Amino acid sequence: MNWPLGMLSLVMASMVVAVGGAANAGEPTLAEEAAFRAAVAQVAGAVVRIEPVAGAAVTGAAGEEAGVASGPSTGLVVDPAGLVVATTFAVPETAREAVVVLPDGRRVAAKPLGRDVPRGIVLLKTDPIPAAPAIEPVPRDLLAPGQWTIAVGRGWSAAEPSVSVGILSAVDRGWGLAVQTDAAVSPMNYGGPLIDIAGRVIGVVAPLPAEPAKMMRGTELYDAGIGFAVSLEDLLAVLPRLAAGESLASGILGISYRSRDAINGAPVIASVRQGSPAARAGLRPGDRIVAVDGRLVRRIADARHAVAPRHAGDVIDVEVDRGRGDEATRVTARPALAAALPPWRRAILGVVVAADDEDEDEPARIEWVMPGGAADRAGVAAGCHVASLVPLDGASVDGDVVETPSNAALAGALAGLEPGGKVRLGLRRGDDVTATDVVLEEMIREVPDEVPPPSAGGGVGGGVDAVRVARLGGADVAVPPLAVIPAGRSPVPVLIWFGSPHGAVDEAEATAWKGAAAAAGVAVILPGSRDRREWSGDDIGGVARAIESLHALRPLDASRVAVAGRGPGGVFAWLVADRLGTACRGVAVFDAPLPRRFEIDDAEPGTAKWMLLGGGRDDDAARRLVADRDRLARAGHAVGTLADLGDGGPPAALLCRWAAVLGLL
Amino acid sequence: MIPCRAMVFVGALLVARAVSAATESSPQLVAATAAHSVVKIYGAGGLRGLEAYQSGIILSPDGRIATAMSTVLDSEGIDCVLDDGRRFEATLLGVDPRRELAVLTIDAADLPAAVPAEERAAAGTRVLAVSNMFGVAVGDERASVQRGVIASVVPLEARRGAADAPYTGTVYVLDFTTNNPGSPGGAIVDSRGRLLGMIGKELRSSAGGIWLNYALPVDELLAGSEAIVAGRSVAVAAADTTPFDLGLLGIVLVPDLLDRTPPFVEAVVPGSTGARAGLAADDLLIAVGGRAVGSRAAAERAVGAIPAGDPLRLSVIRKGKVVDCELGPRPTVAEGRAPQGAAP
Repeated sequence: MNWPLGMLSLVMASMVVAVGGAANAGEPTLAEEAAFRAAVAQVAGAVVRIEPVAGAAVTGAAGEEAGVASGPSTGLVVDPAGLVVATTFAVPETAREAVVVLPDGRRVAAKPLGRDVPRGIVLLKTDPIPAAPAIEPVPRDLLAPGQWTIAVGRGWSAAEPSVSVGILSAVDRGWGLAVQTDAAVSPMNYGGPLIDIAGRVIGVVAPLPAEPAKMMRGTELYDAGIGFAVSLEDLLAVLPRLAAGESLASGILGISYRSRDAINGAPVIASVRQGSPAARAGLRPGDRIVAVDGRLVRRIADARHAVAPRHAGDVIDVEVDRGRGDEATRVTARPALAAALPPWRRAILGVVVAADDEDEDEPARIEWVMPGGAADRAGVAAGCHVASLVPLDGASVDGDVVETPSNAALAGALAGLEPGGKVRLGLRRGDDVTATDVVLEEMIREVPDEVPPPSAGGGVGGGVDAVRVARLGGADVAVPPLAVIPAGRSPVPVLIWFGSPHGAVDEAEATAWKGAAAAAGVAVILPGSRDRREWSGDDIGGVARAIESLHALRPLDASRVAVAGRGPGGVFAWLVADRLGTACRGVAVFDAPLPRRFEIDDAEPGTAKWMLLGGGRDDDAARRLVADRDRLARAGHAVGTLADLGDGGPPAALLCRWAAVLGLL
Repeated sequence: MIPCRAMVFVGALLVARAVSAATESSPQLVAATAAHSVVKIYGAGGLRGLEAYQSGIILSPDGRIATAMSTVLDSEGIDCVLDDGRRFEATLLGVDPRRELAVLTIDAADLPAAVPAEERAAAGTRVLAVSNMFGVAVGDERASVQRGVIASVVPLEARRGAADAPYTGTVYVLDFTTNNPGSPGGAIVDSRGRLLGMIGKELRSSAGGIWLNYALPVDELLAGSEAIVAGRSVAVAAADTTPFDLGLLGIVLVPDLLDRTPPFVEAVVPGSTGARAGLAADDLLIAVGGRAVGSRAAAERAVGAIPAGDPLRLSVIRKGKVVDCELGPRPTVAEGRAPQGAAP
C-alpha cells in the first residue's frame, strides 16, 4: 500500500477526534475509510489471483455463455499448507489445473481437489503459502443485514487487492446457501473474501448458487447492487472432505409435497420416490414433517431451508407426525441424502378423478375409467370413491395403507410406485367397500379416442348452442382474450391457444372452437397479442389474468390446464408454460421448436407434463422436432404427437380431448 | 473587465473557501463543493442511441473545462450549463486522442475551479462521483452525486466494441456504477472534495468482459489538458499487436484450429533458443513476460508486444508445476529468420 505516511497520521488523528466524540460530521467518513483499509490489510495476504488455464475444455464465446471465466478471477487461501478456494466460474469442472498468482507475484500451479457443487466452490492445492495469514470466519448467527461488508479481490491487479464496500443485504439466500451484499462484485472478485469491518471473513464471493440462478445467470447481476457470498463457516466444515478430493453434490431426499404452494404449504409428504433416501429411511406419503435436524418445520419453505445447505451423503434427522389428529405418532427417520434419484417412471391406474377442493380431505371420486386401461381391465367402474390404496409389492409393509385418499394423496401414493406394480384399491359405492387389485401401467403418450365426456363432470352438457363466448378482463386489459365456455362441467378443464399473433381475437375465431369445446367439455381461452406482429413478454401477464378471470366465471379444474400453439404462438406457449410452472399440466405445439437455452426440468411427481409435438415441414425442422422429443422424453415427460391438420385452423377437437384427459391417474 | 491579477486573486479566494469548507466538512458540504466545479455539456448526438449530453470539470477560473472526447463535441454549438444555472456556448480548444480527453473554453470569469488532489489515491479511498448521468439534472438543476470507494488502481485494459481503447495508462476502477450515459467528463472527488479524476467513457474490460466503472486520474487529466492548451500535438501511439511467430525461436505450438486454441508446445527444435531456454513438448504456455495468455493467438500477440531486444520470459505449466523459461532478448523478425540450431 502506498498510502503516504503523512496522510495516514492525519487519518489516525481524525479517528482520534471522531472517537473523542467531537461534533464533526466529516470525520467518521475518514475513520471508516481507515477501518476499511485496516480490514483489507488483515486478509490481503490470503487473497490470490486465479488465472484461467487455456487447457480447460470450455473456452471462448461458448465458455462465456456457459458462465465460465475468460479472464482473471480471485481465490482465498484457507490454509497456508496450500489450500485455496475458488469458484467453479474460474475453475470449471473441465479444468484439470489452474494457475494461482500469489500476492508476491509468483505464479504457481494448482490442482483442483474437491468441489462443493451446490455452492459453486472448488478447493485447489498449491505448494505451501507460508506468508498467507490465518483467516478468521464470522459465525453465521452473528451476521446482521446492514453491517459493513467489503469484497476483496485480485482480479483487477495481482499486486494490490481491489476493494469494494457495501453492506450485508440479507443473511439467507438461495435456500440458505449464501448471504447477499450490495458491495460491487463481478467475475473479477469471485472467489475472494467478503469481510466485515474487523477483517473477519463472512464468506467467499460467488455467483448466486442453486435454484434461483436458473432464472437469471448469477454472473448477470454484477452491476445490479446484488452480490452473493457462500458462508466460510459452511466451507470450513466440509474442508477435510474437499481436501480429500470429494465432490459434494446437493443432497436429495426424494419426496414431494401435497400442497402446490411450495412456500407456505403444509409440509405433508405427497409421494416418496421408489429407491430414494426418503423411501429407504421409511418416510411415507401422508407424513407431516415437523422438524429437520432439530430445526422446527411449519411450512414447506422451512423444510427446504433445512435441507438445501446439506450435501449428498449427509445423514439428516427428519421428524414426522404419522397418522391423523390425536392418533398421530412422532417418528424420526434418518435418511442419507443422495446425489441423484433413479429416473421416475410415471405409473397410472387409467382413471380421471373428479376435481376437488385442494384443502379438503375428501376421498377421490372416479369420474371416468379409460377404456382398455389398467383400472378398466380390473373391473373398476366410474362413480365410486377410492377409500384406500395398499401397494401389494414385496417392498410394502402394513403401514403403507393410504386411508381415504384425497386426490392429492392418491396422486402422491401413485407417484411412489412403478408401472407393473400392483395395488389394492378399496372402492366405496354407497356404504359398500370392495377391494379391487390393479396392476399399474405406464403413462400413455397419445390422446385416446375416448375421453371423459362433459356429463362425467356432473353437468348436463348442452351441445354447441349452449357454448358461451365471453370477453375476459376488465377495462385495464389492453387486448382482452376471448373465452369459449361450454355449458355443464364444473370445475372445467381449460386449454389456452396461441395462434399467429395478430392483435385482438374476434368472435369468428372463437366460433371455430365451439364444437370441440362442447364435445369435450373444455373451456378454451384465446388470448390476443398486444403487438400485431409478435407475441411478447407483455402478453404473459395477460394470460395469468385471463385464467383468473375465467375462474371467476366458472371454477377451473387445476389438474387439467394446458397451453397450446402453432408457429410463433407455439414458441410463446413454451414460455407461458414455463411461467405457469406446475399450474400447467400440458403443452402442445405445432411447428414450434423449444426455445434455445430453455431449461427442461426432469419430470417429477407434481411437475411432470404431457406434451404433444408436431410439425417439421422441412428437414431442419424435422431434425429439431426429433431432438426436442428426445430431450423431453429423456427428462421423463410423456410426449405424444400433434398431427398436422393442414392450414385449416387449429386441431381443436384433438386438443380439447387431450385437455379433458390431462388429469389421468 | 476585471484586471487579470484581480481575477486570479478572486479565483484563489474561491478555491481557498472551497478547500476550507471541505476540510471541516460533512459529505453534504463536500458534495456541494464538488458539484460547483461540474458542468453539464450539451452537443451533438441523438443518433443511433448516442447521447447528446455529457459532463465536464472546470479546470480554471477563466473558463477552461475538461471533458471526455466524444461525438457530443462534434457540434456547431456546444453548450455548457454551470452549477449556478448559467449557460455558455463553449469552444473546443483541442483533444488528446490517447487519453480521450478534450478541453473546452467558455467566456466567463471567477469560475469555481476544481481543486486537484496532489497524489494518487489508493484502493479503498472513499469518493464521491458528480456527473450529468442520464441527463436527469434538467435546466439549472445540480449534477447527480453518488458515493463509493476506489476498488483498484490499475492500467486500463479495455475495449469499445471490437477495438482496444487507446488509453492504457493507470485508471481508478470504482466500486459503484459511475460510467453511465452522460457521466463521461464528470468528477471523482475524495472526502475533502479534492479532484481525484475524471469519469471516462463507457468501456468493457478486455480482461474480465464486464462493463467498467473507472476514472482518468487527475495527474493524467492535467498533463493532457496542459498539452492541449499548449497546442502540442498528441498522437496515439499504436500498440504493436503484430503476432510473433514462436517458430522463429524453435518453439512449435499446436496448430491454431479453435477459437481459443490452448497454447501447448507441440515440439521444440533441438539446439534452438527455445530448447536452450528449457522448453519442452507438452508444456502449456500460461504467461508471456508475466502477463497471462489464454490462447495461442494471445500468446503470439503478447510476444509481439514485447519490444525487440527486451528480455523475453515464457511461463509454462509442466507436470503440475509452473516453470519460467528465460529466452534472452526478443529477436526482430529478421533476426529470428536466421538459422535456428539443427534443422529437423
